[in-house]
Amino acid sequence: MVRIYTRNKYATTTDLEDGSLLLRATLEDTFFAGVVEMEVKVPDLEIASIRGEIRRAVNEECQKAIPLLQDLVGLRIGSGTNKTVNDLIGSSTGCPKLADLVLECVDQVILRFTLPWLKGSQSQSEQGQIENLREMVRQNPRLVGSCIAFSKGSRLLEGLELGK
Amino acid sequence: MLSFARNKIVGVEHPEENVFLAHGVLEDYIYALELDVEVKVPNFEITGIQGKYRRYTTPECPKAIVKLQNAVGLRILEGEFGRKVRRVVGKEGCTHFANLLIECCDGIIQAAIYGEWQALKEKGIAPAKEEYLKGKLQDIAGLKDSCMVYSRWGK
Repeated sequence: MVRIYTRNKYATTTDLEDGSLLLRATLEDTFFAGVVEMEVKVPDLEIASIRGEIRRAVNEECQKAIPLLQDLVGLRIGSGTNKTVNDLIGSSTGCPKLADLVLECVDQVILRFTLPWLKGSQSQSEQGQIENLREMVRQNPRLVGSCIAFSKGSRLLEGLELGK
Repeated sequence: MLSFARNKIVGVEHPEENVFLAHGVLEDYIYALELDVEVKVPNFEITGIQGKYRRYTTPECPKAIVKLQNAVGLRILEGEFGRKVRRVVGKEGCTHFANLLIECCDGIIQAAIYGEWQALKEKGIAPAKEEYLKGKLQDIAGLKDSCMVYSRWGK
């Protein structure tokens, strides 16, 4: 069976010397190619700069969405970011593909700071790894309810006391 | 040096007039997972889904596989599709499967919109782009206000 469509989306994070993060998300599919790159300050997670490019699109009008990205400068990544990005960049007045690339960068920030927790427990026993995950939840209580592993009733949360 | 990277690949096949199949792969420094999704037209409804992990983070993660079935019956062009997937596949299961499922379904939508035009172009019998797209926007409900281009052409 021949493919009628293919998509490759990749995103990368680079730690800059001043402690900021450089995020880049690229989409290349049968009908569209674009990239979003942004710099995020740490620890306040504020978008310091952003740029985007639509390299290929069926519709030339898509280019008109690029300047909208500047509305995100100064935005702090946190709860409500998805809605803000979709409202400002996606929806009927923008380009959902560009909004998705921005949100891919936002996901990278979260995953970038999750990785050290997991690396730290790699060599531990299963119980040690579970304790490490519980400590991660203690320090990031917003994880509770975010997925099946951190849902109420999960053995990972049994007896876990969360701070205020 | 990179401190994190994620790669998502989606391929779409169109084996029958009313069936689209998507295969998606997500690989990053933490997770590795795969999905196969079947969507039937004209309702653009998910009629089948299977997934597997190659790499995950907690002993509870594999329980998310069964939650993929929550996606069966969802219509991918409905305005609330993404929100529903993030809840019934993501929060109730795994957010990374939800992410990949949305990616697969977006691929199917792109293939459904432009695939036919591409085929007609290859045969040299494609109508003008505007004419073709206006027809598609009439045929595929839910697209009209999804972006700045479609909202103008859909009127």
